[in-house]
Amino acid sequence: MFQNRAEALALALPAAFFAAAVFLMPVAILLSDGFRNPVGGWTISAYTDFFADPLNRTVFLRTLRLGAIVTVVSAVLGYAAAFAIVNLEPGTKGKMTGLVVLPLMISPVARTYAWIVILGRTGIVNQALQLVGLTDAPLRILFSETAVFVGLLQLFLPLMIISLISALENMPKDAVPAARVLGANWFQVFWKVILPLTKEGLVIGGTLVFTGSLTAYITPAILGGSKVLMLETLLYQQVSVSNNFVSASVIAFILIVMSFAANILLKRVATARNKQRVPQ
Amino acid sequence: MSARSLFIPLTLFLVLGFLIGPFLIIVAASFSGGETLAFPPQGFSLRWILKVFTVESFRASFGMSMFLAIGGTAAALMLGIPASYALSRYKLPGAEIVRTVVSAPIIVPGIIVGLALLRYIVVPFQVGITPALFLAHTALVLPYAVRVVSASLDNLRSDIEEAAVLLGSSRLGAFFRVVMPNIRGGILSAFILGFVTSFNQVPVSLFLSGPGVRTLPIDMIAYMEIVFDPSVAALSSLLAFLSIGIVFAAERFLGFSRYV
Repeated sequence: MFQNRAEALALALPAAFFAAAVFLMPVAILLSDGFRNPVGGWTISAYTDFFADPLNRTVFLRTLRLGAIVTVVSAVLGYAAAFAIVNLEPGTKGKMTGLVVLPLMISPVARTYAWIVILGRTGIVNQALQLVGLTDAPLRILFSETAVFVGLLQLFLPLMIISLISALENMPKDAVPAARVLGANWFQVFWKVILPLTKEGLVIGGTLVFTGSLTAYITPAILGGSKVLMLETLLYQQVSVSNNFVSASVIAFILIVMSFAANILLKRVATARNKQRVPQ
Repeated sequence: MSARSLFIPLTLFLVLGFLIGPFLIIVAASFSGGETLAFPPQGFSLRWILKVFTVESFRASFGMSMFLAIGGTAAALMLGIPASYALSRYKLPGAEIVRTVVSAPIIVPGIIVGLALLRYIVVPFQVGITPALFLAHTALVLPYAVRVVSASLDNLRSDIEEAAVLLGSSRLGAFFRVVMPNIRGGILSAFILGFVTSFNQVPVSLFLSGPGVRTLPIDMIAYMEIVFDPSVAALSSLLAFLSIGIVFAAERFLGFSRYV
């Protein structure tokens, strides 16, 4: 540890000043706009106005709902996939983990674009449905909540699987066999042994998936369009189409509060886990 | 084999298919000989792969994205390395505040950062489109730069540079001759992570892009809204192989995943 204060400040201040000027101040002013009364003073009327509009309420609830569904489904699929990967031979385990991580390196635009080919009017899903005779005319899957759900799930599922893999690997190796020997069925093994022991990994993965879905822009923009607006695409529309900066500020505040809350939860769980690890 | 012991591997197989399949379809579609985007592809040709290189707007926006990713990450590292060093080696007054301020851009959604910058920096101070995008991408990458460089500084014992100083080296000399060679891997990893983050970023640039000046992903979205041919698929595959190649090489030679 060096003690020279002036030197320390000279090293750290450029970065701090840059982040404050380019990021912190503009964002703070933007957020304060939503609380400013046009005739002076402060008010929350922008928020009551925002939620009085049924379209805004629909978008707000849809964003929460899609975030929640994507999180729950990715947890279910994530446990199965992570459990399978953890029980593989070391070499195959590395390769499979690599395959799970691989999509994260591909541009989200490219990953979302693929679903147009799959879900579009002449896409694979519609071709297959018509081939087996389930439908005569092509179904409209794109620009529906289902399409956005599928896109978000594909985008964020890897984060859940990775969190659960590390949680399952930190679990005592003999916990599951012990529970089996003592007569627990697989359902009980999951609820009473695996879930409590991997709770932290689930919370970490869940937070990443939930905040990711909440603040996603590309997926709802490409697969949902103006029919299935989410908070981010609504914000974009409010600015670029309606020039409504107050409403944009309200949406920004809602998004930031939700992702901050999720991040605080994440930090809590992470520190709790670190404390637990010390005695080992 | 019982039904149950098949169930878990089968789920893994389906999940991997769900994660990787769409990418394979995009790759297949980009070798199509047909006029429109379709799967299964009609015939085989390289025409769409070759067409990507001739689209003027793709070339311009690719150049812009490369400039932002390389320049913005380099700028973030120039700000971030000294800050990480101060945070890790000095008794810095207000260290927690500095850490929070510097890493805050990661928590706030990019679209909000872009809008705030547009309204309160770009418009009032008459900043051009390119410098504005540069500022935004630098701020975006800064948290990653500080996190990765701090991690590799924390893994390096600090007594070796204290020894260098005791033996008569200047503080600056000790940093460049003792510390830098030891955290080179961390800095390169931070650079790659920053590059990929910046290159793939869309929301932050949405409001900041202007007529004729935009990043590649935004250009791709704009193109696919107008033209329904396989060239975006071809471009997506090329970019995907590029970034997989970079990350694979980084893992191979640097042990990238140790730092990230």
